[in-house]
Formats: sequence, C-alpha cells, structure tokens
Amino acid sequence: MPGMNSGLDPADPVITAAFRSALLHQLAIVGIIFLLLLLAWGATRGWVTAGSKAAQAPAAAWREPRARSLLRIGFGILWVFDGILQAQPKMAAGLPSQVIEPAASSSPGWVQHLVNWGGTIWSFHPIQAGAASVWIQAGIGVWLIVAVRGWPSRLAGLASVAWGLVVWVFGEAFGGIFAPGLTVLFGAPGAVLIYALAGGLIALPERVWETARTGRLILAGMGAFFLGMALLQAWPGRGFWQGTQAGQPGTLAGMVQSMAGTSQPHVLSSAVSAFGNFTAAHGFAVNLFAVIVLAAIGLTFVSGQPRLARIGVLTGIVFCLADWVLIEDFGFFGGLGTDPNSMIPLILLFTAGYLALTPSPQPAPAAQPAPAAQPAPAAEPVPVPRAVPSWLPKALHPAALKDSVAAASGATFAAVAAVGVILVGAAPMAFASTDRTADPITAQAIAGASAVIDTPAQNFTLTSQAGRQVSLASLRGKVVLLTFLDPVCTTDCPIIAQEMRAADTLLGARAGGTELVAVVANPTYTSTEFTAAFDRQEGLDRVPNWLYLTGPVAALSKVWHDYGVTVENLPAGAMSAHDDLAYVIDAAGNVRQEISDDPGPATETTRSSFAALLADAATSAMGKGQ
Amino acid sequence: MRTPQLRTRHVRRGALAGILAGTWLLAGCSAAAGPAAVPTAVAAAPAGSVPLTSSMAAAGGGTWAIVAMGGSAAQENNFWELFARPAAGGPWRLVTPPAVADNGGLVAAAPATGQRLDIAFRPSQDLTFSPLALTGDGGKTWATGLIDASVADVPDALAGSGGTMLALLSDGAVDQSGASPASGAPGGWRQLAAPGAIAASAAGRRCQAGGLTAVALTPSGVPLAAASCARPGSAGIFARTVAGWQAAGPAVPGEGPVRVLRLTGTASGDTALLQAGAGATATLLAAWSVDGAHWTVSAPLSSGTGQVLASGTGSGGSVWVLLPGGRAEAVAGPAASWRALPPVPRDTAALAAGAGSGAFDALAVSGGTLTVYRLTPAGAWDQNEVIRVPLQYGSSS
Repeated sequence: MPGMNSGLDPADPVITAAFRSALLHQLAIVGIIFLLLLLAWGATRGWVTAGSKAAQAPAAAWREPRARSLLRIGFGILWVFDGILQAQPKMAAGLPSQVIEPAASSSPGWVQHLVNWGGTIWSFHPIQAGAASVWIQAGIGVWLIVAVRGWPSRLAGLASVAWGLVVWVFGEAFGGIFAPGLTVLFGAPGAVLIYALAGGLIALPERVWETARTGRLILAGMGAFFLGMALLQAWPGRGFWQGTQAGQPGTLAGMVQSMAGTSQPHVLSSAVSAFGNFTAAHGFAVNLFAVIVLAAIGLTFVSGQPRLARIGVLTGIVFCLADWVLIEDFGFFGGLGTDPNSMIPLILLFTAGYLALTPSPQPAPAAQPAPAAQPAPAAEPVPVPRAVPSWLPKALHPAALKDSVAAASGATFAAVAAVGVILVGAAPMAFASTDRTADPITAQAIAGASAVIDTPAQNFTLTSQAGRQVSLASLRGKVVLLTFLDPVCTTDCPIIAQEMRAADTLLGARAGGTELVAVVANPTYTSTEFTAAFDRQEGLDRVPNWLYLTGPVAALSKVWHDYGVTVENLPAGAMSAHDDLAYVIDAAGNVRQEISDDPGPATETTRSSFAALLADAATSAMGKGQ
Repeated sequence: MRTPQLRTRHVRRGALAGILAGTWLLAGCSAAAGPAAVPTAVAAAPAGSVPLTSSMAAAGGGTWAIVAMGGSAAQENNFWELFARPAAGGPWRLVTPPAVADNGGLVAAAPATGQRLDIAFRPSQDLTFSPLALTGDGGKTWATGLIDASVADVPDALAGSGGTMLALLSDGAVDQSGASPASGAPGGWRQLAAPGAIAASAAGRRCQAGGLTAVALTPSGVPLAAASCARPGSAGIFARTVAGWQAAGPAVPGEGPVRVLRLTGTASGDTALLQAGAGATATLLAAWSVDGAHWTVSAPLSSGTGQVLASGTGSGGSVWVLLPGGRAEAVAGPAASWRALPPVPRDTAALAAGAGSGAFDALAVSGGTLTVYRLTPAGAWDQNEVIRVPLQYGSSS
C-alpha cells in the first residue's frame, strides 16, 4: 500500500508536537463553543416571555426504555473513550502505517486499494486527520449521551452509523472479514461495525422500543451472529484447532502471544502470555470450549425465550469479558490502540437486546390540573404584528422560533454543542482533504529544522544540459532552488528531481519567477550527455525553468565546497555519495534557507510533502530581496 | 397477518441459512486469500536466462571476471564486482569501475586491443539508461560513456572492436556506435536492428528465431547477433551484411531447439556456447569462428539439468561452464574435447582460465569475501588468495 505509509516514526517529535498543538488550539475552540452556547441558553431563557406556549407546556411524561438508554449511554461513553485514545501522541503519524496498513495487509487487493485511498488522505494531512478523529468521536459520544430523545438523539444515532462505517471501512479494512484468520475472538467483524449497528438502533423511532419485538429481533440477530462465529471457529483447516503447527504457535496461540508483546502493564502481559502458552499447549480444548460457548450463547438468543436469553446474556458477558482480557488484551494499549475492541460493544448490544425483550411500561401521563378561573386581564394595547414574508417557512417565523428556543432544554443546547465539537475536527479535515498535496510537516519531520540564512550566495559559472554557460549571477531577479544531483544515481537523486518538478507544478504561475537549478554531484560522470540523459529520464527536458549544470571536476569541486556539499566516490560498486541539500536563493542572490532534501523513505507522502516544502520555501523567498 | 411467534421462527430459519451461507463465504474467502509468497533473498535466474557471472581473457593477456557479491538483491545489497588478473599471473585485483551503483549487473566486452575493457552498467531502481565505463589500462583508470537505454540482462549484451560498439538492449533492439573523435568513447549510437527485426527477417523466420541473447563483432567488424532457434538443426547466429541480417550460425546436430547462450568476440575470432535441446537431455556445444561465417563445433556435452550457472571464455578460445552440483567442464579450443574439472570448491561463482593449458582459478564468493582457488596439476583446488571487498551495504537502498 504505497500511499498511506509516510515512513515516519510514529513518535516523531515534530509530528507529535504539531498534533498536540493542534489539539490544544481546537480544545480552546471547543471550550468557546460550549461557553457561547451556555450563555446563549441562559440568555434565551430570560428572553422567552412568560406568555410563550412552549415555555408553559408541561414536560411530556416519557421514560426512555432501558435498552435504548444502555445503548445510547454505553456507546456514547465508548465514542468519548475512543476519541481520547485518538489523542495519543503517536496517532497522527502512526495510525496509517501501524494500524490501518497492517489491518488491511492480508485482505484482497480491492480492499487494500480502498483502504490505501483513505490512508493516503490521512498520511497527507496527519495533523488534521488525527485531530478530526479526536473531535468527531468525542463529539458523537457527547451527543449520544446528552441527547436523550427526539430528533437530536436519533440524529446522534445516525452520526454514529455514518462515522462507524467510515472507520470500519478505512480504519479496520472491513473488520478483516475478507482476510484469512477471521475470528470473533479477535474482534470480527470489527468493533466499529457494532458501534454503527447500535447507532442504527438508536436512530429508530422511539416507539419501536415499546414492544418486545425489537428485543427479539436484536437477540435473533445476535444469536445468528454467535452461531455463525461458532461455525467459523469450528471450521477445519484454519489452524484454530491446533495449539502448535510445525513447531510454531497455532492461529489462536500465535495471535494471543503477539498481543502479549504489546506495551502494557506487566501484570496484563503476563496474564495474556500465560493464556497464550496455555492455548499453545491445549489448542484443541480451548477452541472446542470457544465453539461450544459461542454456539450455546447463539442458541439461547435465537430461542427468543427471556429465561434462556437471560442465561445466554450472563454467559455471554462472562465469556466476552474473559476474551476481552485474555485474548483481545483490552485493545487500547501500546500507544496506538484506537478502541477497546469488540467485546464491550458486543456485551452492550446483546444486553440491550435482552432488556428490549422485556420492556418496562411507560408511565401514564400525569393528569393535567384544571386551569383555575383567571380574572379577565385588563385591556392592554395589542401590539401590531410585524409583517412576515410569505416565502418564509412557518418554522422560521419569529413566533415559531421563539417557541422552539423556549422548548429547547439544556440537553438540546449540549447536543448542539456536541455537533459543534464534531465540526471543529471535521471542518479542517474536510478542507485539507481537498488538497491533493501532502502537508509539508512530514518533510519537515524528515529533514529536521531547516537553517534560515541571509548570506550572499557564492557565484559560479557552469554548463547547462544544453551546453550553454550559465552563472548563478545571471539568474538574479528570480528565486533559485538549488540542489545537487548525481546524473547516474539510482535512488535519491531521481526522487529529489521529481520533488523539484512537483514543487514547480505547485508554484503554478509563480514558477515563472523561479529557477530550478541542480549541480552535478558526481566526480566521474560529469559530461552533458549524462545531465541530458537524466533530464530525459525524469521528464525534466520539458520543464522550461530547469537547469542541470555541470563542468570540469575542478569547477564542480569548488561549487561543492562553497555550498558545503561533500561528494566522494565509494568503492566496490556503490554510487557516488553526496549530501542531499537544497538552498533557497532569493531574487537578490542571497541564500535564505538551507534544507536537507534527503527524501528519506521516499513514500508517496514524503515525495508530495517535500514538493510542498520546497514550493513553500520558494514562495516565502519571493517577497524578499527584491 | 403473521403472529409474532411465526415471525420469530422465520427469523430463526433465515438466520440459520444466513449463518451457514455467511460462514461458508467467510471460510471460503479466508481459505482463498492465503498469505503472499515471501520472496527469497537471492532469486534464482529466470528460466532460460543466462547468468551475468562470467570471465574472459584480455586481448593483451590477463583475465577479467565478473561476479555478484554481498547480500540480498531484493534489498539492493548485491554488488557486481569486476576483478582483473594481470597477464603475468599475479594476484587478482578489484577493479570495479566507480561512481555508479552496479546492483543491476555489469556487462563487459573485451575489444581486441591490449588491456581494454568496456563495461556497461545495467540500470537498477530509478535509473533507466546504461552508463559505460571504459578502461585501456587494466582497470586503473576509467573513461565514461553512455547508452541512453537499458542494456539487456545477458552477459554478451555488449561488444566492441576497433572503436565500434554493439549493444543489445532490454527491448530487443541492437544499437551500434562509432567512436567519438575527441575522446574515443563510443558515441553516435544508431539502431542497427529494431526489436523483433531479426526474428522477422527471412533468416530469422527460417530458424523460428526467438529473443536475442548476445551480440558480437567479428575481427573484421561485422556485427553478429545471436538468438534461440525453435527449429532444430542450426544455431541462431546472424550476421549483418549489406543484404540485411543473414544466417551465419553453424549446423548443430540434434532434435531439439538450439539456444545461443554465449557469443563472445575475442582477438582470434568469435566463440559461441550453444545449448541443443532442453531439460535433462540438453547438450552443450562450443563453436569457434574466425570470420563469423565458418564455424568449428565441439562434440556435445551432456549438461544434466540443462542449467548453466556461469560460463566464460579464455585465451585461445577456451570455454568453461559451471553446472549444478559443483560440476565444471572446459574445452581448450577448436579441435579439443570437453574436459571435466574436479568438483569445484563450495560457493564457486565463476572460473577463470589460466595462462597455461589446463590452468584454472575458481572464484568463490561468500558475502563480501572472494576466495580464489587454483587448480593444481594434481587435480586439487588450492586456496590461493582471499580478497575482502569493502562492500557499501545499504548504499543503494
């Protein structure tokens, strides 16, 4: 998957610092949103007149069904928890390469292609994407928790469905359902798919929770799922029945032992490791136990009988908790855990199904006290209503708005605030994702801090690829991006050349004020036939502001020395070694910036990011030295 | 209207069917999508290819040898090294031309003048053209040149004689250069044969020629190109004449197709290594010509598996082949017979014919160490030299 891997260390200090800074800025915005809405709510309470019908209306007597309440609050807490996990420092740089890519690595090509598309967007904009995940998930969680009923609550459910599916496809590679080794014990069919299912249930009309039918359907679905997973677990030839195979741990034991290697408290890794060893020694028995329990739970759920279902729920809770601790290893350790995996969501879902199977009756509406006879009000002058345009929808009429605001509870305001939280993360990410160029921060992380200089650039005169004598001084009036390339290099130099070319494209109309200049960095292959061949190879022969300069070794050596570039031939079939440096020279001929343009891992992301970095550097130099 | 109970049963039946179908699909998907094959660290040469590892005699005496050293080719840690042994029989020296990563392989031609050797770097990674390195002093100094294309992955993709060079390119074209008047380096490359042109010629069609495998120049400068012939009976060697490409190969006894594994120009003429038939019944034949038209063909040699690990030429038209199982065979020249050499030492990558009749060196490679064994008159391989090559691991990755 070429796009999503930036090749960066997940703990890269440049990225983690930028991520933390972005989160703090957005946290401040979130705080402001809540404060403003709190003030607005307080103000509207005073603004609403006592005569408002909505304000006078008694609150409807409605108690949220226990099942819905469990789903709403349970998954709300999970989303908030997941949002907090997304704020871990390694997430911005590490999620695509350390979480998403491995998740999709054993899936079919089309899944990898799809996941790579999403992962590439993340890698191109790691800070915005990382922060967006934090605020979207936290916002959905808060929204679910505070919006108890009505359209705000149902919309929160729909938001959970939408984001859950996005994460399921792009973050979990469809929960691995198209990959080998699928097992519920490790989280199949993906934790966020369960979040999405729960969101869908929350989004249903509230009346569906008033009958046992909903509970029966949920439990039947869960029962079918458990039976299917039991059958899959029992399927021969998938390595689950063997504790060891050819001296190696079997499928289940191998998975558990790999989880034990995650960075976590010692007591947990010891427990997981011990269970891994136990599974390796007794693989058949462990798998047989899992198959039987999964099938039994499934059968009790499918039965639709409350008494049996209760046994199934209790068994399921114990089984799932054991799986969560001993096999899934809680799911959120190691600095890149995104959620507590699937067992807690599963418990919430089937428990809600059981609660819905035995719904509590809604309380009868309280009797309305008869209105006391009021003395006739004294005649007051009736205000003349202002004319309302006929095209304005009734809901937007001032009186209707007034009633709506009056009817809005604190929870509704909190729900609106939660939507605001989502937008705090989603809006910058949506804006960034329209940009097909990677953010320069990845290149900055690879290159390290670039030196800001203000010294006259040493002049030189060399021969262009066309055989023309060119001096640096003759390029005054233009910003010069100067670098050093070996025309017969097989790795870095072609990549740097492509990054320069891409930077030129990014400059657009400003490219006319820029000259891309490379000086040969090879003491042996110096003739113009090599610079011209290199240009053809890289398609630079069609770039009008590209110069590839060469000359006698003595002249080249002076330029290398003047610009601090070391060039040497290495023995035994190695290419010439040289420093990868770029200089930004302003129109007056002053060096403004020195950038390490070593392309690093040379992934799609780093290439794009370096192009953006070079283009930004050229742009910032344009205003100087005029 | 269905009762809730009926509905529940319906759900259960549907669920059961769904469970079975879903599980079957999941299990099927899982079984179908097996883990990707892990590439081996050093891939075997593709079927039918001729390994680049080789040695050849310098016109002015002495010997050149090209071997791959180092580590994984997949990780660009393989480095092709050029060694030279002077005419006087002194020690081998590392003379790999500098300044180009040679992970793609080296292809050499020894024009019939003194200590001259022309080397083409096969491009690797992002390089798409072939730099040339040319020496006239046994590898002490190098001039540069360029083929603005990738030379083919065969040991005889380059040929030189009297300032003219031939290059067989990866796309199957044959290019020819003249010498630059200023530097003597090859320049002014022009296409001598378009891709597929020789196979499409009348001579090519007659032998049902396939892809080209080598190029050479006769002592008088006539370009030769070699190919595999699917039709039994003759070797696919073609000479470029004023009338176009003409069949010039020798008749080859046997029923199977004939492949020209090597076609090397030497001071005394051209030497070819032919393979007749395929698989376990394949035989090897050496052939010699002083004019590119009249050939002397050796007796056939059973090659066993049909696989040749390395091959080369020596002075006087000698030919050696390295076969699987540590087997080595050599033929001293026209009118001589194949001679089995003693089983070669472990890790032997190439042989090099010595100055005297029957003298051979075995070049064994282990990582960055080249160990030279010399064949004694008593028929034993004695360790003669150990050269530790300062490989720049990681420099090409």
